[in-house]
Amino acid sequence: MSTPALVVGKRPRGDKVRGTLFYVLLLVSVSIGFVLLGTLVVDVIRKGVGYVDPVLFTEPTSTNPERAGAGPAILGTIYMMLLLLAVVVPLGVGTAIYLEEYANRERWYNRLLELNIQNLAAVPSIVYGILGLAFLVRGLGLGRVLLAGALILTLLVLPTVIVASREAIRAVPDSIRQGAYALGATQWQVVSRQVLPASIPGIATGSILALARAIGETAPLLLVGALTYVAVNPTLLGSFTALPVQIYQWVARPQEEFRLLAAAGIIVLLAILLTMNAFAIWLRNRYQKRW
Amino acid sequence: MRIPLQEDLDQLEAALQEEGSLVLRALRGCLNALAQSDVELADEVIAFDDEIDAAYLGIEEGIQSLLARQTPVAVDLRLVLAILHDNMHLERMADYCVTIAKLTKLVHDVPHDVTLIEGFEEMGARAEEMIRVALDSFRDRNAGRAESLVDLDELIDRANRRVVQHVLSLGADPDLREWGLRMIIVSRCLERIGDHAVDIGEQTAYLVSGEFREFTDASHGPGTTPRDL
Amino acid sequence: MPDMENAPAPVTIAGVRDRRVAERQQAEPPVHRDVLFDVDGLTASYSGVPALRDVSLEIYKNHITAFIGPSGCGKSTFIRCFNRMNDLIPTALVEGTIRYHGLDLYGPEVDSVEVRKRIGMVFQKPNPFPKSIYDNVAFGPRVLGWKDGLDDRVEQALRQAALWDEVKNRLKASAYSLSGGQQQRLCIARCLAVQPDVLLMDEPASALDPISTTAIEDLMHGLKEAYTIVIVTHNMQQAARVADMTAFFSVEVDEESDRRTGILVEYDETPTIFTNPGDKRTEDYVTGRFG
Repeated sequence: MSTPALVVGKRPRGDKVRGTLFYVLLLVSVSIGFVLLGTLVVDVIRKGVGYVDPVLFTEPTSTNPERAGAGPAILGTIYMMLLLLAVVVPLGVGTAIYLEEYANRERWYNRLLELNIQNLAAVPSIVYGILGLAFLVRGLGLGRVLLAGALILTLLVLPTVIVASREAIRAVPDSIRQGAYALGATQWQVVSRQVLPASIPGIATGSILALARAIGETAPLLLVGALTYVAVNPTLLGSFTALPVQIYQWVARPQEEFRLLAAAGIIVLLAILLTMNAFAIWLRNRYQKRW
Repeated sequence: MRIPLQEDLDQLEAALQEEGSLVLRALRGCLNALAQSDVELADEVIAFDDEIDAAYLGIEEGIQSLLARQTPVAVDLRLVLAILHDNMHLERMADYCVTIAKLTKLVHDVPHDVTLIEGFEEMGARAEEMIRVALDSFRDRNAGRAESLVDLDELIDRANRRVVQHVLSLGADPDLREWGLRMIIVSRCLERIGDHAVDIGEQTAYLVSGEFREFTDASHGPGTTPRDL
Repeated sequence: MPDMENAPAPVTIAGVRDRRVAERQQAEPPVHRDVLFDVDGLTASYSGVPALRDVSLEIYKNHITAFIGPSGCGKSTFIRCFNRMNDLIPTALVEGTIRYHGLDLYGPEVDSVEVRKRIGMVFQKPNPFPKSIYDNVAFGPRVLGWKDGLDDRVEQALRQAALWDEVKNRLKASAYSLSGGQQQRLCIARCLAVQPDVLLMDEPASALDPISTTAIEDLMHGLKEAYTIVIVTHNMQQAARVADMTAFFSVEVDEESDRRTGILVEYDETPTIFTNPGDKRTEDYVTGRFG
């Protein structure tokens, strides 16, 4: 009694019960997500693992499930990702640097730009597809080609890259900029030698995650003309297909074998996704912030 | 390391030693003036006191500034306090030299007793010795040597008492009696210089040990002789 | 018994006969100081609100000048006027003049980047760049395009900052591996590497432990042979310890608008400020009777 703060059992019983209840609730929600995901993965692997073979990686699709592969689709996806990366990173990082380091917030157009980017990130991907069809394929007369697909995916993930890069640039402490300015560095030198190197891990992580989003997109690609049957390896200005589109097409087939083939495609897609995510995590840890 | 503080302390201590050497010069000057009845030299000694006062003020201001700026602690603080005291003791010694010089001027044309003048030469030499010991032991932080000042002081005290005895025996010549009375003050001045040297020694002991302690207690000590007349 | 033979020979007191002492006392030469900065009627405001009003003072070459005063007295704002750091804040406005070697720092022909090369700055919190120790020091010279003898420059700067012996065997290590006090000395070395005229220090020891603080103060004491140092400190004792000249700033509160503006109250030699200040407000502040 002399140390009331330490007396056990003074709390109302209800508190403890509520606490336990809440904890159980948390466990349930975690396990629902986990079990669903686990089931999906196990199911897909169980079905598809038999079809993950050289044929899948090299052959084009075919009416005969035994000879059908996703070679052009996988290559199409890889080409598109490379193109996407080459375009989206300079554009996104450049925009982010402008907004963070140069733009004067007092100006209306800069604020409008910011608002625009935030809203773009929330636009459904099908809308990008329509835009691509109207503007790239028909407007510019590009046709239903791989370049159009890559460009439309670029537009789709550009806001994500910009936002991630801005976060990374903003995370560089102002004291580092001031220290550099105080040594007689120009703005260009401060940005290129201090801010950008320091924010590269964040930018890289953001870009890879954006890429991961783009790789699974189907809808806009269908609109700009990813064909479901492409027998030849894709070229920049040729017709093309992509892995998700191929999976979508296989799943729609009536034969059971094609569904198993689709599962194999999903395994490949998942593997690529996981690898990219792992790489992003590794990058982040490797260049962890040290200030 | 606190380099500015160390530099300031070193500077103050050097200034104190410098002031000590000025005091030694003043003492030698007034002793010579007394021995040779040299009025001009006596005037020099009196004027020279300005120089010592300037040194005194310089140290005083230095200490004020150092205390205000550097907040010394522990041994540094004791050093500052010891310098503060020593500075005052040295300045007082110089004042006694001025007194001797002034007395020299007052009596330069009256007859004087050769024995006593010789005695003063010896007393003065002891006082000089004591100042040197006081300054050196302070510089070397040698508390043992500083304490030896007590013994030296005892000798000066005895000489002082002999001077009084001697003056009493000078006889009835009024001029000689006036001279003798003034010489008692000279003797006392030299004796006081010795006392201040002992006090400097006490500051050295305080600096080294951190304890305030008088080497001899003038009012209570067993077997001690009164240091004052 | 004192030995009469060893007593010094009787001396005459040199230098007195001609009364040189008296002359010397009269002819004490005035203290000579070279003016480096001449501040005249300086007012600094943010978004039109003055933070510091009508400051006029002179900063002397090879002196350490301290700015002290309560929070909000504008001392940090003031020090940032000397290397035009306030230019980096869009809403900041500096009126009045600061002449540096007679040249108006805010004149139209003066480039702020050029100013900062000559007038280095050390910040409150150590702000090393997220790079190696070597690259931190080499940053300034590289930015200025001084490519020759970079190693020597780095070594010399680190020596001047009394850091060389501690880091010479790990120049490639991250600057973040240093202790706080070492980081701050690294920041000082970084400034020295561009061979400035002036070192501005904005509360350089406020984030450091007492030992590191002493190291920085000793360093400043040694550096003033070659540099002019201006330091802002909220630690009065620090100003007392290191500064030759001290300026006391205070806050003036406008009764009607409750607006607070910094003003210069007193500027004098440091011993005077701390032993016999001329202004009651200074005395109240240094004795701790303020507020």
